[in-house]
Amino acid sequence: MNKNKSRKVFGWVLLLITLGFFCLQMGSLFVQARYDASYVDDRLFYILNMVIVICLMLSIWFLLKPTKKIAVSFTIIFALFVIANGILLVNRMEDTKNILSVSPDWQHVLSIKQDGQSKEAVYYRSYYGILARPKEQLPYAINDEYEVKWLAKDVAAFTYKATDESIQQFIATYGDRGSGTSYYYVGGQTHGVWQAKDTKVINNQEGISITHNGETEVFEWDYIEQFGTLAIVLKKDHEAAWTIALKENFEVHADASKKTVGNIVLYKASLEESEPILLEYQGEYE
Amino acid sequence: MKTLIIGLGSIILIGLIAGMFIYENRDEDTLPQYQMDTGEPEDSSNATTQTEPQQEDLWPVDGDEISYSLQNEKLHITYDKGESWVTVPVEKDKLFAGEYNGNKQSLIDTSYILTEKRAAFLYAEGTNWEAQTVGIVYSEDQGKTWEKNIVTESFPALRFRKVDFVNDQFAYVILSGGRTMSQEGTQPYISEDGGKTWTQTNTPGTTRLISDGAFINEKTGFLSYGTINPDQPDLYVTEDAGESWEMASFQMPEKYEPVFVTAEMPVKEEDHLAILVNQGPNGDYLGGKVKGKFISKDNGKTWDFSKEVQPNE
Repeated sequence: MNKNKSRKVFGWVLLLITLGFFCLQMGSLFVQARYDASYVDDRLFYILNMVIVICLMLSIWFLLKPTKKIAVSFTIIFALFVIANGILLVNRMEDTKNILSVSPDWQHVLSIKQDGQSKEAVYYRSYYGILARPKEQLPYAINDEYEVKWLAKDVAAFTYKATDESIQQFIATYGDRGSGTSYYYVGGQTHGVWQAKDTKVINNQEGISITHNGETEVFEWDYIEQFGTLAIVLKKDHEAAWTIALKENFEVHADASKKTVGNIVLYKASLEESEPILLEYQGEYE
Repeated sequence: MKTLIIGLGSIILIGLIAGMFIYENRDEDTLPQYQMDTGEPEDSSNATTQTEPQQEDLWPVDGDEISYSLQNEKLHITYDKGESWVTVPVEKDKLFAGEYNGNKQSLIDTSYILTEKRAAFLYAEGTNWEAQTVGIVYSEDQGKTWEKNIVTESFPALRFRKVDFVNDQFAYVILSGGRTMSQEGTQPYISEDGGKTWTQTNTPGTTRLISDGAFINEKTGFLSYGTINPDQPDLYVTEDAGESWEMASFQMPEKYEPVFVTAEMPVKEEDHLAILVNQGPNGDYLGGKVKGKFISKDNGKTWDFSKEVQPNE
């Protein structure tokens, strides 16, 4: 009797899960069609389909205790459905490569989708964690190798090798260090001298110079590209060299005479393992 | 109960299968097709073509001798009231890039110059709205040859844009963009070689919305801010081609204090500068169209009230 009861409870719970996921799937489909959105990862659609059908099958099993004949036919129908979704999923993975990365605080999702044939990639802005809309095409097609690093809770650096073998960087930003109401220049906000153990960054009128392990590189302002209001990429010979991003504690002031507060982070554009370097403000450049 | 569960199960299964068909068919173009812009400036070219009216006969936007048309999704200019046309080598959409909500039937007022001597049009291109390349396409021989030059490689979504030539060599471009609510960035650029190369100047550092800006000679320039509920003129002046900016002060008679609030651009009059200050978008003094005229004898740093100016003067 007791066994029978828990079987029923289990069955109902599974049916509720089925209904929940089904509503989510249908709602997402509607939103996707209406707002030209998609899942952050295209594979989610098929995985959800499979989860829904497996839960449904189990709940019917537990609640109705079907005869062997009916059970077999149900199993065949559901199995066919799961297999079909599996095949479509594999097909989709060949057509589109999904690059996903979740921020350290689980608030943002970096989503980049790459066309399997042309290798061109599009950056998607995520909404509610699972949906995304195309924001912009990456300027260079990706040659398979890439690296994602979160430089702050709301700054993701996507370093990739382009099809022309150059190293490029795209920075996805999801926040702001000012009041959120105005645009500002990261280069202008980080004027002055910044230092870490073996690294020194000097930002002045001419550009930004970076001294790392005894080697100095100078980047003029014309070769510095800003992403959002949180990061800049320093370029050399049409390749990304370094990224500078504002840490969460950085305070943006409209008034340049105010004291600089907070840290910036320096990150080398490289596909090899490289750690972001946290820099402290030392003062104005004399 | 059994029927309910079976019914529900069937609906879910049918829904999922239908969803799969919709998803598969909808997703044929998985990646949206963006137009790739290389951002490379094009070299001077003689590739301009005299267009023949193929699709729709071209009509000038106004009755002037020198005019333009944006028909057939292209920009054409004419120097003879529409008898003959020259196509400008720039895509129509790039002329309206950024924050623009109009119908694209006429060019943005200050974004171009079209005179007998010179045709110049500001454009912006690039897939990333937050960092578009702003350039200028211009011709000094009535459209026979065109040159395209980059003003800035990276600028956020344009709102205000203005280009003008003070003389043959000295030109300026004033851009504003990246607007969020009532704040934005404003940036002037100057060229001292007739528009070939452009240099960014310093800025006054305010993030209010710009209402207008201009250089009156190679050194002296003005930027006027405040388009939403301004309460006094907010005018900055430079006397060293944008190296440094200082706020101009207005000797405003008390009765006009909340009335004349938005400075227009100064003009040279005899031995002094004159400026009109209008009532902004919400002015209602004598119908809201009357402006205050101010005079400056120190090159725009301080302004004394001169008189009221009627709209028809």
